[in-house]
Amino acid sequence: MTTRHPFSRRGLLRTSAGLAAAASFGAPSILHAETKTLKITTWGGKWGDIMKATVLPAFEKEHGCTVSADQAFPFVPKLQVSPKNDPLYDVLHTNSNEQWLAVVDGLVMDKITAKEVPNVADVYPYAVSDKIVGVSIFTSAIGLGYRTDKDITPPKSWKDLADPKLAGARGGYLIPVNSLGQCHLMMLGKIYGKGLQDLDAAYKALEQLKPIKLVDFTGQMEKMLLSAEVVEGVIHDSGVYRYEGANRQPVDFCSPSEGVMALEQVLNVAPGSKVKELAFAYIDYMLRPDVQKLLAEGVWYSPANKKVKLEAKYDAKLLTTPEKVATLIQPDWKWYNARKDDIDARVTKILKG
Amino acid sequence: MTLFNRMTSAAIKLQQVTKSFDGKVVAVDDVTLDIKAGEFFSLLGPSGCGKTTSLRMIAGFEMPDSGRVHVGGQDITDVPVHRRDMGMVFQSYALFPHRTVAENVAFGLRMRDVSKPEIAKRVAAALAQVALTGLEERKPAQLSGGQQQRVALARALVIEPRVLLCDEPLGALDRKLRQQMQFELKELQQRLGVTLVFVTHDQEEALAMSDRIAVMNRGRVEQVGAPTEIYERPRTRFVADFIGEINLLEDGPHPRALRPEKIRLVPAAEARLKGTVETANFLGGATLYRVNAGGRAYLARETHSGERSPRAAGDAVGLAWNDTDVVSLES
Amino acid sequence: MSTPLNKQPFDLGKTAYLGLNLLLLAFLLAPIAIVLVFALNPTPYISFPPVGVTLRWFVKFFETGDFMRSLWLSLWIAACVLVLSVVIGGACALALARGHLPGRAFLTAFFMSPLMLPAILTGLALFQSYLLSGIGRPVWGLIMAHTLIAVPYVLRTTLAVLHNFDRRIEEAASVLGASPVRVFFEVTLPLIQPGVFAGGVFAFIVSFDQFPVSLFLVVPKGETLPVVLFNYMKFDLDGAIAAASMVSILLALAVVLVLERLIGLKAYVKL
Ligand SMILES: Nc1ncnc2c1ncn2[C@@H]1O[C@H](COP(=O)(O)OP(=O)(O)OP(=O)(O)O)[C@@H](O)[C@H]1O
Ligand SMILES: [Mg+2]
Repeated sequence: MTTRHPFSRRGLLRTSAGLAAAASFGAPSILHAETKTLKITTWGGKWGDIMKATVLPAFEKEHGCTVSADQAFPFVPKLQVSPKNDPLYDVLHTNSNEQWLAVVDGLVMDKITAKEVPNVADVYPYAVSDKIVGVSIFTSAIGLGYRTDKDITPPKSWKDLADPKLAGARGGYLIPVNSLGQCHLMMLGKIYGKGLQDLDAAYKALEQLKPIKLVDFTGQMEKMLLSAEVVEGVIHDSGVYRYEGANRQPVDFCSPSEGVMALEQVLNVAPGSKVKELAFAYIDYMLRPDVQKLLAEGVWYSPANKKVKLEAKYDAKLLTTPEKVATLIQPDWKWYNARKDDIDARVTKILKG
Repeated sequence: MTLFNRMTSAAIKLQQVTKSFDGKVVAVDDVTLDIKAGEFFSLLGPSGCGKTTSLRMIAGFEMPDSGRVHVGGQDITDVPVHRRDMGMVFQSYALFPHRTVAENVAFGLRMRDVSKPEIAKRVAAALAQVALTGLEERKPAQLSGGQQQRVALARALVIEPRVLLCDEPLGALDRKLRQQMQFELKELQQRLGVTLVFVTHDQEEALAMSDRIAVMNRGRVEQVGAPTEIYERPRTRFVADFIGEINLLEDGPHPRALRPEKIRLVPAAEARLKGTVETANFLGGATLYRVNAGGRAYLARETHSGERSPRAAGDAVGLAWNDTDVVSLES
Repeated sequence: MSTPLNKQPFDLGKTAYLGLNLLLLAFLLAPIAIVLVFALNPTPYISFPPVGVTLRWFVKFFETGDFMRSLWLSLWIAACVLVLSVVIGGACALALARGHLPGRAFLTAFFMSPLMLPAILTGLALFQSYLLSGIGRPVWGLIMAHTLIAVPYVLRTTLAVLHNFDRRIEEAASVLGASPVRVFFEVTLPLIQPGVFAGGVFAFIVSFDQFPVSLFLVVPKGETLPVVLFNYMKFDLDGAIAAASMVSILLALAVVLVLERLIGLKAYVKL
């Protein structure tokens, strides 16, 4: 608290010095002798703890810079409002759907290649596929989580969620605000209709899932499963796998036979960044096998780098082989975002009744 | 010490004072008044005639558009309120609700940097003076209307002002209490010898208490004089009409006025006019008759000394008066 | 008065009135009770009935650096906002009620307007203008933003008091020898104080609880408690959130009580 005193004399002096410099050179002043700052966004929770404790300090030391990590949502609107030539973030970390929103406004780059970020050469194809802007550094698998103590047959297919016995005990998301819910909707189109983009089939299938418990935050589904308010629900694998060992809970995860949906952790660079090289270096760092391993095992995310070797218990469950990665289905967020308003209106009507 | 010191009072002079609001309403119109030191002086008139505005100009709350105000021989027109050294009692009392009775009374002394023990002494004396000893620690909201009135009076007098201004101070009291306070106030004023300017629209109150009265109408002073003079020798038709009941005789070039008690009810033989009683209002010590004579109404008041000779509506009566009792009016 | 209770005849109206009040009280306190149950329950999710009582969530709350940092920051900001909005709101109210300003109705509406606008828009607009003008997002910018939202509360409560204010009381003081400055401090201020203070309490709470305006204006490592809680909730929805809520409620209550002691909330009967 004492570190940020708003009216400090030095602060004032610096401000006025900056103004004077700007005035005399007629150009944005670059005050040297100050270490470069990399402005990034990042998640909170366990991920944030590891980042703050280990990952970011190590990067700062390596590059002699400081990293200012924003954990406060919403990232994309904040970036949107800030000047393009002096963006609020140098590196934007979000899920894939938000990157697609950002790229439309030119807030982030289209592609990131091995030219800028050498470690991109080692990632699985999904991480730089045409369904991704930027590069995915991790992914989770969206499938079905379920209670092992409630006498239900463990699910094998996405269709099992429609089992009448689960009425009122199945869980999903508020589709307008949660990308897992959006993934699930597309998946319904695929298994009950002609494909991920068969919305009519998806709406019909959604209707059949009522009554269903809906949550808005992703983390809430975890709690609903833990408290057994939801017996079977749509969830990402890491939200279930983390309850193991001493934290063991009567829950398990199923990767349905039709495939799992990808929940990618995407990094991307703002084109107007003043420290672009540092931004690329950061992404490269995040793709480094040692960093990937640390985070993957910390939060049960599947690493994008093919060369990462995880401990056996993680290796057994996460998507660490080309065969397992092949079960990932990547939604077309560009397509989805373009129709989002219509879809929101429609699903709200369906789920309200 | 249980009494205030006899105060050094000051004369007040208003010289051709005019005040208008919003450039339209002329509240006070060219008023000149000479109030003597130590005098009980009333401003009397109907609602909206400019009494309060005149008083507020003396106090300094309003600035006259033109004219000067003198107090104690000194032109104070440009002296701010808080330097005028006056006492004032408001109709609503305007006590400080967040202060106790004692604190209210002490306020003016505190503003004058009087020492603490001196304040305590004088506050106690002032409260004794208005018979409020024992209520020092009460808040105004815990007092009756009459008690609040007395606190206001004590608060105004404790500073020993040269002039005491009262704007309908008894207006909010019931009739009985009001009469009692009239006596007390008059007695206190006489004892202290303070110049008191008293605003009222109640003519009985003004007549009963004042040394002199200024009758105001539409911002102007119609007449200044002692109560008896105002009553018996009204100069204008307005004054005659405003003070008590009156018979206006409009048979000559000038209107003339005759008080009802100057008209005697007599046998037909001695009468100037013959008529019939229309109504007879019993007033306790007297009866007020409305008599129709020659197509117009006359008011006659008959006091009851000894035997009453009651007349009822419809009775034929004769009216008589002395010419000396008829007052010629200016307009 | 001295009749024993059991001899009083049953009064339907009185009982109904009492019942209604109890119902309202329950309605108001129920959410807090639920939060408390969640905060004391050992499971990391809401379960009913609770399986036990633990203080681990409170311990976690007090041991987490982010929570403590943001709690102090929020308290500090709220205190600044209280002072600023009382001064600004009080002065504005006096100017509006007393100054013969042209377009008073317009000015009043103007000062109230931050209440009409969705707070998220205010936050976004301020964020944008701070960035464009190169101010960045300093703490004082956040304080100003909160003050903007808080001033209308002080303005409104103070105007209400001034509206009923008998100006003769001030005149009485000045005729007794008080200069305008003394009139203000001896009479005006003490009499409008309950209104100003009530507004100040609102201002404190509005700032302490402020989320939408803060959302865009906080910087990394400089987040206020509501923002930290919101972000925490997205990843860890456990009892620490409930513990934080309980602590916030108690702190706000404590601040109100302390201020009440210091300044006094009682309104005066005769204003
Ligand atoms: N502040 C003001 N603004 C505008 N007009 C005013 C103001 N004060 C008084 N007036 C007007 O001036 C005139 C005289 O008012 P004033 O209060 O002096 O009358 P008053 O004789 O005291 O009446 P009352 O017996 O009703 O108290 C009235 O027409 C009144 O409306
Ligand atoms: Mg008046």
